Amino acid sequence: MTELLIQHRNIAATLALVAALSLAMAMSLALGTVSVPLDGLWDALTGQGNAMHRFVVQELRLPRVLAGALTGAAFALAGCLMQTVARNRLATPGIIGIDNAATAFAVASVVGTGISLAPSAMALGGAATATALAFGLAGANGTRGYRFIIAGLGIGAIAGAVTQVMLSRVAIDAANAAFPWTVGSLNARSATAVSVLAAGLVAGWMAALLLGRSLNTLQFSDPVAINLGTRLKRVRALSLACAVLLTGLAVAVAGPVGMVALLAPELARALCRSGRVPLTASALAGAGFMVTADLVGRLLLAPLELPVGLITAIVGAPYLIWILVKPSSRSLT
Amino acid sequence: MTDYACQRTPASRALVPPLPVAVFFVLAAALASLLWGAGPVGAVEALQVMTGQGSEEARFVVMELRLPRLATAMATGLALAIAGALLQALTRNPLAEPGLLGVSGGSAFAVTLAILLGASSATMTTLVAQAGALAGCALVMLATRSRGLAADPVRLVLAGATVTGLLLSLTSVMMLADQRAADEVRFWITGSIAGTSLADLVAVLPSMAVAGVLVVIVASPLAALSLGERAAMGLGHRPGRIRALVVVAVALLVGGATALAGPLVFAGLVVPFIARALAGPDIRKTLWLCLPIGPGMILVADTLARVIGAPAELPLGVITAMLGAPVLLIIVRSRRMPAL
Repeated sequence: MTELLIQHRNIAATLALVAALSLAMAMSLALGTVSVPLDGLWDALTGQGNAMHRFVVQELRLPRVLAGALTGAAFALAGCLMQTVARNRLATPGIIGIDNAATAFAVASVVGTGISLAPSAMALGGAATATALAFGLAGANGTRGYRFIIAGLGIGAIAGAVTQVMLSRVAIDAANAAFPWTVGSLNARSATAVSVLAAGLVAGWMAALLLGRSLNTLQFSDPVAINLGTRLKRVRALSLACAVLLTGLAVAVAGPVGMVALLAPELARALCRSGRVPLTASALAGAGFMVTADLVGRLLLAPLELPVGLITAIVGAPYLIWILVKPSSRSLT
Repeated sequence: MTDYACQRTPASRALVPPLPVAVFFVLAAALASLLWGAGPVGAVEALQVMTGQGSEEARFVVMELRLPRLATAMATGLALAIAGALLQALTRNPLAEPGLLGVSGGSAFAVTLAILLGASSATMTTLVAQAGALAGCALVMLATRSRGLAADPVRLVLAGATVTGLLLSLTSVMMLADQRAADEVRFWITGSIAGTSLADLVAVLPSMAVAGVLVVIVASPLAALSLGERAAMGLGHRPGRIRALVVVAVALLVGGATALAGPLVFAGLVVPFIARALAGPDIRKTLWLCLPIGPGMILVADTLARVIGAPAELPLGVITAMLGAPVLLIIVRSRRMPAL
């Protein structure tokens, strides 16, 4: 009976998240410098109606909204995987410096070569390097607790400094081309990077679902997980590889958008409460959060556009501080 | 009485070998920062200027550009190193660092806000920066009172880093919203002492002097406080007053340094770390060693910033982050976090 209730709750939560995401996407398509009425929105999407509306919706806003949803989902899924593997809910790509390292590598490719596929590949390399460093440095101390996080903070600081060095060394054109990556923005996405991300997200999501049962057992201690038949090393390596793939590809599109990977899984966990790792729900929540944050960034100081990374940082920071100030944290240390 | 007690503790070491070496190091760093720069004036020409020869152009570069910059770098380094050492002793946290804990961030935020609201002058910047730093310090002290953060030194730093991130994001929003403010703070905000004039330095000096007096007053009581609150009270000190004085000193120092060089992260972490490694945990000896090592480190970082990117310049904050982040990793990785 309880099992059934939990099932219902999960389905209800997923449906609610889908509804929220759809609403956010619709609003993001409709609102902006040129407002499209809701009935005109459907016409514009299906290629009828006002030519101006059609252009704004199809050419300008739709790619942006899709890119936002994809990056949000990728960041959130990566965050959820990494939190589960590290058994530390602060262990999200943004906080332990993986975003920054991916950015540094991607910027290196832009100021260095300028091949269109390179940023994705380079960002992947950066994400992999930083993950290896963070988890490697954790060593015998393990990944629980705050020391692991502070070590990641150091890695992120170094990567950020390297990015700045590269940006200040190159010609102004190349620096401008690379700039959006440094703050986290959907403004300068390249179509190639977005399609690569879409493919990667599908692959990563499938892989995460396949790993789902094993990931659920990871929530217990190692001996329990092993007794339940989980091959720990393999599951950890595969999950981390997934997280690296998702983070790297997402950074190549939007740069280091922080806090999505922290907030979205938290929200999904609060909604689902099933003792399972809420993979799909996290991805949906991340997509919705990212699209909403981008919409807020576009509208808040219009006609000025605030990068989405700033909005997520400002929203996420108070929550993170609240986690830290609370005397005991639920699933940490 | 306290002197006697501390000299007998086994961990305290003699000051004599490290201090002269550190002084020699800062002199060498100062000479290097006069000799090399981003411009075409090289070491030989600079030496000629110093002996009273050399071309007019070289004389201008060395005397009017590099010399004020040298002074600014030394003041900044000194202030940040002392502030870092004080803050670490006060919070008993080897990771407490003005930049990481949000004190510099508060300072930068206050300055940008003031410029956004229409203010613009050198002395105003210093005052506003110091007010912002004071608010940041108060926040840190408040945070150490909360049970969650006091229990774990690393957690405090993480909270501080989050506050810093939040403040920098808000600062970026202000910069995006106001082009004039952005132009005024753009280079400064990443941490740089390029183009500072002696007037900027002079504006900061009075408050630095006040802070210096405070440090002299507070050093001995702070050493007593490191023995524990009760021991300090038994020795006739009042912990509450000591803490208040230290907070004011830190705010004056960090605010002054931030007004000069922008929010520099990690500078206040590295220098006290080295000083403690050389001189042991006594705060008075740490402070003595910070006097030469602090300016020396910023001088080295600034010279590197000029030379690595020549003919362009790197922001100073980039170099301090590169030097400081590994030290952060070392401290966090050490099996037993060096207790204060």
